[in-house]
Amino acid sequence: MKIAFTTKGIQWDSIMDPRFGRTEFIVIYDEEKDELSNIDNRAVEGVAHGAGPETAQKFFDLNPDVLITGNGPGGNAGRVLEQANLKIFVGAGEMTVKEAYKAYQKGELREA
Amino acid sequence: MKEIVIISGKGGTGKTSITASFAVLGGKNIVVADCDVDAADMHLLMQPDWEFSEDFYSGVAAEIDQNKCIKCGKCAEVCRFEAIPVIEKKYFVSNLNCEGCGYCSQVCPRDAISMVEQNVGKWFISNTKADNQMVHARLKIGADNSGKLVAKVKKEAKQIAEQNSKDFIIVDGSPGIGCPVVSSLSGTDFVVLVTESSVSGLHDLKRVYELVKKFKIPAGCIINKADINLQVSEEIKAFLKEENVTHLADIPYDETFTEAMTDGKTIVEFSESKLKQILEETWRKVKEISSPS
Repeated sequence: MKIAFTTKGIQWDSIMDPRFGRTEFIVIYDEEKDELSNIDNRAVEGVAHGAGPETAQKFFDLNPDVLITGNGPGGNAGRVLEQANLKIFVGAGEMTVKEAYKAYQKGELREA
Repeated sequence: MKEIVIISGKGGTGKTSITASFAVLGGKNIVVADCDVDAADMHLLMQPDWEFSEDFYSGVAAEIDQNKCIKCGKCAEVCRFEAIPVIEKKYFVSNLNCEGCGYCSQVCPRDAISMVEQNVGKWFISNTKADNQMVHARLKIGADNSGKLVAKVKKEAKQIAEQNSKDFIIVDGSPGIGCPVVSSLSGTDFVVLVTESSVSGLHDLKRVYELVKKFKIPAGCIINKADINLQVSEEIKAFLKEENVTHLADIPYDETFTEAMTDGKTIVEFSESKLKQILEETWRKVKEISSPS
C-alpha cells in the first residue's frame, strides 16, 4: 500500500500540515518497499485561487491508496479526489508523520 | 495553541463586532487575524498602530508592449472581459477588467503581451489597544481577496502565536463560501458561526455550514438578534441540534451594537450591559470547547 501524508517537512518526525490544498509537502510512504518519498508542494501556496484542485491533481500521478491529512479536502478538491480512488483519513493535523501513520494503523483516524 | 475562526456566511450578522469583542476579552493571550479583507473593518475597533507593512502580490494582469504591438486587434477580439479597449488607436489593458487569463498573450503574433504579477495591496502586523498583535491587510480598489492572501495572514498570525506561546488565534473569517473562506477554515481547530434570526440568516448559515462539515471541524453557533423572528430562531436551533453544532448563545437585538461601533469601541468596552455579560460568557465557552484539557 502507498500512503500519502500532507506535511510541513519530509521526515518521519516532521509535523503534519492540517491543510490539504496549501500543504507544504506531500510525503509518500510505500509499505512494500519501506520507502519514504516526497514532493514539494510549496508553489501552490502562491496561487491566488484553486489551491485545492491543483494539489488534488497531483494525486493522479502519485497514485496512493490512502491519504492522511488534518481537516480533509474542501468541496472542489474533494470532487477531484473522488476520481482518484483513494481512502481519506482526517484528524491527524497536529501529529508527526510517524504518529499519524501509527494512528492510522490502529484505526484511530476518522475516514472522510 | 488553538485557532478559532469566526464566520457568518451572511453579512450584517454582527460577526466582526463579536470577533472584536473576543479579541479584547482575549487580551494578551491571543493573536488576531483579520481575513475579512474584501471590506476589512476590524482595524476601526482594534485601533492598530500599523507597525509593520509589506506589499502583497497576487494574480497576474496583461500588459502590452506598445513598441512591439502591430495593432492587429487579435487580443481585443478574444478577450472575454472587454479588458482591452482602443484609445487613440492604441490597445491598452484595463486592469480593473483584466482577469489575468492570459488568452490575449497566447494569440498575440508578436509576443507583445506579458502577464505581470499584480501588487494588490499591503499586509500588516500591528499592536492593538487590547495589548495583543493583529495581522491584517488592505487591498487596493478593485483588487479582490484570495485564498493566497488569507493563507498569508493566517500563517503570519500563527508564527507570532507560536513564537510568543499564545493560547489562541482569533480569525475574523471571510464572507461567503468561496476560495477565501475555504482558506480561512483550512487547518483551523474550531469554528464559531454567527447568524441572525432571519430567513437569509438561516439560509446562509446552512450554506456555510456545508463547508465546515466537509472540513470536519467542530463548530458552535451564536444567534444574534435572536428575538426579531422567534420562529426562525427556533428553526435555527433545530438545525443546530440536527447537525450537532453547539448552540453557544442567543443575543437579543440591541442598539448597543451600533452605538459602540460609532464610538469606535467593542461592545465589551462600551458599557456594563447585558450584552457584555453574554459575550463574556460566550468567550469563556468558546475557550473551553476549543481546547479541552
